[in-house]
Amino acid sequence: MYRKIIRRSLSNMRDSYLIYILACSFAIGVFGILISMGDNPSLRNALRLWDTFIYDITVTMSGLFAFCAFVYMIYVGGFFIKQQRNEFLTFEKLGMPRWILVAIGFFQTAIVQALAWLIGIGLTLIFQKFMGMMLFYLMGVRFNFAMHISLNDLWLLLEIFVFSTLVLSIINAIKTMRILQKKQRKVIIKTRWWLRIPAGAFGILLLFSAQICTFYLFKDMRMISYSSKPLIEIVYIMGADIFGTYLVYFGFLPTILNVMQKIHSVAYSGVNIFSFKYMKERLFQNISILWFVTELSALALALLTFCYFGYQAVHQNYNSAYPFELAANKDTVKVIREELQKNNAKIKGRYKTEVKINLVSYYSKSNESYVRQPMTFMSYSAYKSLPKRMRKGNSKINSHQFLKIDYNSSLMYNNPTSEHNIEVKNAPMIQDAKMGYSFPYGSSMHFGPMMIVPNKYYQKMPAEVKDTFYGWDFKKGDRLSHDQLERLGGYRDAYYMKVDFKSSLEKSNIEVMKKEPNKYEAATYTQAGFLRQGNLKKRFNQGGGFYLFIVALFSVALLVALGSVLTLRVLLRDDYQSRQLRTLQKIGVEESEIKGIVRRENTLTFLIPIIFALIQSYTSIAMFDFGHHMSKNIILIYGGYVVLYSLFGVISYQVSWRGVKQKFNL
Amino acid sequence: MQIAVKNISKDFGKKKTAVHAIKDISLEVEQGEFLGIMGPSGAGKTTLLNMISTNARPDHGQIIIDGLDLTQFHDRDQAKYRRNKMGFIYQSFELLDSLNVKENVILPLALNRSNKKLIEERFTYMMNLLNIEELSGRAIDELSLGQRQIVAAARALINNPEILFADEPTGSLDSKSATILLNYMQMINQKERTTILMATHDAFTASYCSRVIFVKDGVVFSEIVNPGQRDKFFEQIINMQRTIGGGDYFNVSQNY
Repeated sequence: MYRKIIRRSLSNMRDSYLIYILACSFAIGVFGILISMGDNPSLRNALRLWDTFIYDITVTMSGLFAFCAFVYMIYVGGFFIKQQRNEFLTFEKLGMPRWILVAIGFFQTAIVQALAWLIGIGLTLIFQKFMGMMLFYLMGVRFNFAMHISLNDLWLLLEIFVFSTLVLSIINAIKTMRILQKKQRKVIIKTRWWLRIPAGAFGILLLFSAQICTFYLFKDMRMISYSSKPLIEIVYIMGADIFGTYLVYFGFLPTILNVMQKIHSVAYSGVNIFSFKYMKERLFQNISILWFVTELSALALALLTFCYFGYQAVHQNYNSAYPFELAANKDTVKVIREELQKNNAKIKGRYKTEVKINLVSYYSKSNESYVRQPMTFMSYSAYKSLPKRMRKGNSKINSHQFLKIDYNSSLMYNNPTSEHNIEVKNAPMIQDAKMGYSFPYGSSMHFGPMMIVPNKYYQKMPAEVKDTFYGWDFKKGDRLSHDQLERLGGYRDAYYMKVDFKSSLEKSNIEVMKKEPNKYEAATYTQAGFLRQGNLKKRFNQGGGFYLFIVALFSVALLVALGSVLTLRVLLRDDYQSRQLRTLQKIGVEESEIKGIVRRENTLTFLIPIIFALIQSYTSIAMFDFGHHMSKNIILIYGGYVVLYSLFGVISYQVSWRGVKQKFNL
Repeated sequence: MQIAVKNISKDFGKKKTAVHAIKDISLEVEQGEFLGIMGPSGAGKTTLLNMISTNARPDHGQIIIDGLDLTQFHDRDQAKYRRNKMGFIYQSFELLDSLNVKENVILPLALNRSNKKLIEERFTYMMNLLNIEELSGRAIDELSLGQRQIVAAARALINNPEILFADEPTGSLDSKSATILLNYMQMINQKERTTILMATHDAFTASYCSRVIFVKDGVVFSEIVNPGQRDKFFEQIINMQRTIGGGDYFNVSQNY
């Protein structure tokens, strides 16, 4: 008899249970993969470079993942018990002992959890190799990923299964108990329009002000290094977005539906007479969930934004620091060429550029101070002959313009677009120079800022020091061995420049030293002898791939969790709500119109949170202040998220309609 | 003749365990007739009514109303026909809890996108006719069972249906409320010439009809035509119920 009750309730809500079990299985599968990946021998062998880092990260991430999944299971698992409320109360009225109903709640949960774990472990076993191969692909590692789950991992999974199932079953048993104790159900939702209308208006005001503030944040972010204004704006925007959204859900949207319902010309037309009230009712029931989903979606989008820009920043820094696989100056070129000849490195491209080093003096807008320093000068034609990637972060110039390339130009904050009145020793003053941050031959090859100048200017200008930079690109790397690198170790610093600043630039001069000074002074600069991407490139590619793997995994998991929560909220209608749709059908409402009501309900549940989430996450873009040229990729990322999210909306609509239609045929 | 049911049948369940709810039933109903469908529980009354009202499709046979074979209609067209030509009263009222009385009553007109003036006129007329003007702003939860059924009747009649289907309309009502409802139905039948098909297992309720057919085990067992005197007709119904089994004097209302 009790087995039959459990079987029947599982069968009645099979669509909802299926979605829940699949979502849980996905979480368990991912958790299993993460936990088993950490101590996978092929991963350890392929990524020796990272020592225990990968293991530490996967363990930490799997822990975080398990915690989030557990919270999800506690929250969503309770929906089913709530749905069986009437059934439990009827059984109790018919004389079934309370402890048996509690036991039914317990075992039902245990069965569902066991099923989810079974499928989840299956997913771990099936997809571990696939995920491992994907990780290797993203990390650019050519290694066979062998499937491996240690006994320790299996034991750990078993322990977590027993513990989580027990806890979840006990929680649901307690929920069943509470249902039986509190027989009176709070069906009546207090409309309290006197509170909802002002709250809704205030919510709209908050959201609107947050948008205005976001607009200002775009401008003010550059002040973050010296002003607290942007931080205050960010805090305000976050608060206004979070509370404003809740108040809009609580007051504004129901008020809109209420007003629509009061306008008889609109309400007394077709199914509107029913659907406005129906949707209002559903909205009242789901305010907290919609809000929760909105904020988590906004958080997911904000995380994706941070990750994207963070990755871009690292990528850009790397690219601007190491644009060539190997770079050298005139002092080291000979020895490097010899080493390259020894190991038959396949050179794809080689570059050579003459530069002059001279003293300059100017007022730095970004530092707000006068600066005197040596600067490297390069002619326009030499600059243009280098690969395009060397100019990626620089302003465009023509053959008559000047370009100042400096370390201060960071990705995060915009620097002034030009610098003025730069005095150069024994050369005409540079009135106006555009700005950039991509150093030809890499920022690490330079001791300070550099300047691209017109060819004529370059030819005429004197030089305190003359140098030549060399750069190589290779097919499959420079192949420099450990011994070769040890030999080259002594050439890392080419020479040292001690600047003797006097009252004017003309009187100041640079003293070049071949040997490292015993005592470094403030005005001593080091010219790098050579620069090599080497291991750093490998580390960067692997780190980037791993990072992408983890971010993608977490984003998809968050999406699955949010999507399934909303889907289950749509599917698990109250009995009387389904009955009302059936009544409409009985009195002659066309199926297409009822389908329209279900569609509207889905749209309301899915569309509104994503719209508000997108509005909120816009702030996270503002925090980086990149300007419009970056927006294409972000639109793609956001678009991808919205498409996947919408997929849940469509599935939810289809399953929901199927459920309603099944009831029509009863 | 307004309704012609020709050899319809309907099974429920899977092949091996199928229940033959309706077996090859044929009947005809004239316009303005008040037809009762009687029979014990599970005889197939509601199934027959649902099929004639296009709420369920027969497995075989034809249902012709005003010369149109409704079994050949697409679901969408059936729904449209149902909405325009038919009214429904159910034992469980089938009122929408989320709407108030007025919204429930005007629902069929609103669904037809009738103009607001017509909606208000018809609403006022129905409320006056059924004498329930004071209920118009009330929520459904606030009504007694009898009031709910009268409201359901008002909803069924507001768009002047040609055919009214009533499935155990007095099943949830006390005898006083049942009598009031039946009197209204009779009045509408006579005044508006609305054809009424009513499924009931109650002899008193059936005695308001002009003709009663008896269904047993999915087939029409017999029929009785009202001779003009209700008490005599009532006796005939009771006797027939005794014959087929499934009704007796205990079904007779105290008000009779």
